[in-house]
Amino acid sequence: MYGRTGRNLRVNLTENDFTIEESPAKFEEFFLGGRGLGVKVLSDEIEPGIDPLSIDNKIIFVSGPLVGTGAITGASCNVVTKSALSGTIACAKLRGHFGAELKFAGFDMIIVEGKADSPVILSIMDDKINIQPALEYWGRTASETEETFKKSLGDKWAGRETYLVSIGPAGEKLLPLANIINDGFLSVGGAGIGAVMGSKNLKAIAVKGNHTVTVADGNRFVQVVTTLINKLNSAPLTSQSMSSWGSAFFVDLCHQKGILPFKNFQGSHFAEIRGVGAGTMPGAFELRSRGCFACPIACIKKTDVSNPLFKGKGMAPTYLAAGALGYNCGITDMTIIGMANMLCAEMGLDPIAAGGTVATAMELVEKGIVSKDDLKLDLRFGHGDDLLQALTLMATKKGHAKRIGQGAKALTDEYREPKVFMGVRGIPLAPFDPRAIQGMGLHFATSNYGPHHLYAYTFIEEILNVHENLDPWTIEGKPELVKRYQDMTAVMDSLGLCNWPLMGLKFNNFVPMVNSCLGTGYKAEDLLAIGERIWNIERSFNLKTGLDPKYDVLPERFTKEPILDGPAEGQVSRVDEMLPEYYSLRGWNDEGRPDPDKLKDLGLGG
Amino acid sequence: MARIKIDHTKCTGCRHCEIACSLNHVAGAANPRRARIRVFREGHTYFPTIAGPFVDAACTSKNELVVGDHTYNMCLVCRASCPEKPFFIEAETGFPLKCDFCGIPPSPSCVRWCNSGALELIED
Repeated sequence: MYGRTGRNLRVNLTENDFTIEESPAKFEEFFLGGRGLGVKVLSDEIEPGIDPLSIDNKIIFVSGPLVGTGAITGASCNVVTKSALSGTIACAKLRGHFGAELKFAGFDMIIVEGKADSPVILSIMDDKINIQPALEYWGRTASETEETFKKSLGDKWAGRETYLVSIGPAGEKLLPLANIINDGFLSVGGAGIGAVMGSKNLKAIAVKGNHTVTVADGNRFVQVVTTLINKLNSAPLTSQSMSSWGSAFFVDLCHQKGILPFKNFQGSHFAEIRGVGAGTMPGAFELRSRGCFACPIACIKKTDVSNPLFKGKGMAPTYLAAGALGYNCGITDMTIIGMANMLCAEMGLDPIAAGGTVATAMELVEKGIVSKDDLKLDLRFGHGDDLLQALTLMATKKGHAKRIGQGAKALTDEYREPKVFMGVRGIPLAPFDPRAIQGMGLHFATSNYGPHHLYAYTFIEEILNVHENLDPWTIEGKPELVKRYQDMTAVMDSLGLCNWPLMGLKFNNFVPMVNSCLGTGYKAEDLLAIGERIWNIERSFNLKTGLDPKYDVLPERFTKEPILDGPAEGQVSRVDEMLPEYYSLRGWNDEGRPDPDKLKDLGLGG
Repeated sequence: MARIKIDHTKCTGCRHCEIACSLNHVAGAANPRRARIRVFREGHTYFPTIAGPFVDAACTSKNELVVGDHTYNMCLVCRASCPEKPFFIEAETGFPLKCDFCGIPPSPSCVRWCNSGALELIED
């Protein structure tokens, strides 16, 4: 039982009870752990057709086998559930220290079922498991919840070793845009999960523990990890760019390549580019690097009190926040973007989903489809105050922002303007214009988790050209690239690793680390085959929820309207041309459904 | 003499040093509570702290620690495995833990894995 603790905690909030289970070894062999294991358990245990916010939905927190072992970037805790935003499967990647601490607390996985009568916090503190009332925490922001809980322990030292994952007011109000937060970090891809946690009246989970995670071949493992750290150090992207700026470094690059969307993807080039990007961050914020558990890159940039709006809290915006909350809403002021990002992290709103919704509403207003009086909100592109007000009202479900709080899809449906919704299957697009990066466009159309770049970061090959020198505008070889990156990401998530090291290392470089840690003899192909299995079980689950593969498409704006300006002028997404090849590489039929034989080959038949 | 120089302004709080220490002292065991180096967080600042001997005298001459415009309690960065502070004590045995520079010649594993530059081996 190397790398894993072998124990799962099953909590039934309706019964106010819990059981400790052994985790089945066969599942681990088949799905590694983390995301793979979580998806397997969820698809075995819930009916795909249920309402995500009903008592029948479950929410699973699962740390991969490499988490907490010291494997580089082994920090990710996956949160798997049926999403309240898309109605399909959701798997957030929770960064920070929660995942590792869950392992030290002695568990690989927490499965939360049922619904508590009133707000509760689940605490796992040094083997004492407690479902404690948390009425006084309801309505509090994420950082207040963490601070108050740590203080309530009455021991100043215990608080330092306790890590929490919680929801903000947005999750409590069951907003489909709600995300979950730990330690000031919003989870990656967590839109639609906050509301599920809220529907269970589960405000937070706290963990702290004293267990040891065992590594199979300790000496070899230490050697391999040391080599990988040195390798990351000699790669310019991971050692300099990401460490200095975090992903905000990509703002300038994406703008130069015509990928950075502007005003709800209406343009990609804007004159105000002076004064955006990583270069302006030091002026706006005092930056300090912060690492997730065992991360040599430390891409997260925390800000200090130099800006009075922050009051000592908050993270400097990442590319994602800058793109989704800033440029896509026409806003270029870094201070406003930072403030909006902090609002999201405190209230528990997902920046992509919330930013996308505000941008959609802004376009509806701009085009005169919706009047200002109709929304009872000022929403104008480029106005920071409008954004901040909308976010605050949305999160607290106050005033007339209730309507936009239901998400961009609901809004465009209400006004019968589906073409203004820039998203796939109910989830707004991550801020990458798919017309200027074809591979990512295909991924956005086919992803099991909606159009989120971090489930197949083909950007590494198409724009950064780290391992391969691919042209972002061509479609040749892209279906293969997308499939490979999707499978690879499934493996890395399941192990508990971050995507960023791929900017300095090849996938093959991780294999010795995995084997020395887990005592296995995997080759890279074996791991990729597991990744493919995970991708297929997710796809099968999504199809059972009623997803129709005909929705493997991008919004018309990307396939029919060429980019109007900037470096990628004239480009359209050719996702339709790539789909057939992608389906055939996956062994799916023309309609995008996995063939029964293919599933059997992957061990998913019967 | 070889010493480990700590620059807290560079520490990112990733705690890779804790795991390096733990793995190096008991092969294959990753557990921060067994580590002889711990990273203490105070607000937005991280203080890597290396386990040293417990001396009564240190408590009686306790000073306040001033970094920038913040004042910290000295206990925070105290290196002792002291009864008041549940760190640097092996949970099973109650045995105090102390840094041994990972044997001779000194090549401390925490320094090897620290990528932020917060830990550095120096000769003086």
